[in-house]
Amino acid sequence: MLHSQLPWFIGGPLLGLCVVAMRWLMNERLGVMGAWSNVVDTLGARRLSFGPFGWLLFGLVVGAAGFALVTGGPDFHGYGWLTDTFSGTGGTILIVVILFAAGLLTGLGTMIAGGCTSGNGLSGNAMASPASLVATMTFFATAIVVTLITAALI
Amino acid sequence: MRTRVAGAVIGIVFGVVLSWSGMTSPEVIREGLLFQSSYLFLFFGGAVTTAFVGLWLLRRRAPRALLTGERVGWETIAPQRRHVAGSLLFGIGWGLSGACPGPIATQLGQGIVWGVPTTVGLVLGIVLFRRLQSRAQADPKRAPVASMIPARVAADSSA
Repeated sequence: MLHSQLPWFIGGPLLGLCVVAMRWLMNERLGVMGAWSNVVDTLGARRLSFGPFGWLLFGLVVGAAGFALVTGGPDFHGYGWLTDTFSGTGGTILIVVILFAAGLLTGLGTMIAGGCTSGNGLSGNAMASPASLVATMTFFATAIVVTLITAALI
Repeated sequence: MRTRVAGAVIGIVFGVVLSWSGMTSPEVIREGLLFQSSYLFLFFGGAVTTAFVGLWLLRRRAPRALLTGERVGWETIAPQRRHVAGSLLFGIGWGLSGACPGPIATQLGQGIVWGVPTTVGLVLGIVLFRRLQSRAQADPKRAPVASMIPARVAADSSA
């Protein structure tokens, strides 16, 4: 990171308050996949009438863009272990393929599970949902195992 | 209209926090998942705890939602196979890219070009899911994994 990291005890609660705000203002479960799917579904119907969730996604993008402008550029350069491991034209193609596949698995998987890190992990657990607890334990455990495997291979 | 503005404002706060906390960086996520840094788990724990207490207080008082007027409350569901199967796929994707759906959006916002292939995959994943959903609805017997495909409305509103 190219800027000082927001302490976890400020950033975490702020994110939690976003969940509370969504519930208090419009009785909705905050989930970023709900935001992505609202945009994809609306565009897929050849319309531009995005709902609150679609606007949530635009807010995410705008907030991150504003942050990059204020701090003088993106958060990081390269792309972690992928650009550290693979280089050259072939390496770049491989990284693009890996990231595309990872995105596809993330999109399909979170839609099947009815939530991602925010919908199930953050909001669902705060709602004391047994389904979200199971989903959260599954994706955290799987991501940890996959990360350990890639770390062992490179 | 007012709910859209509220959605956008909440999104902006979310986006700034995901950027400022470093959650946009795959390196920070990876350090967390490899237990080299405690930040990811402390950050996530702090967020869930705050949201849990806030929602608990809200539910106890059961006010009307400030913008829509409906009574604040929610249903939860028991774990089904799809919660495990879907989260397995997601966990593989997250472990490879170091970016879940929120950070994919903030990567795009920060102008990180590596976020583009991840985004294309994510969007196609949603499109593919909608196809499977239509097929399961039209002909539940022929759909490959109909039991894994939740019906359209229920999936997004309850947890």
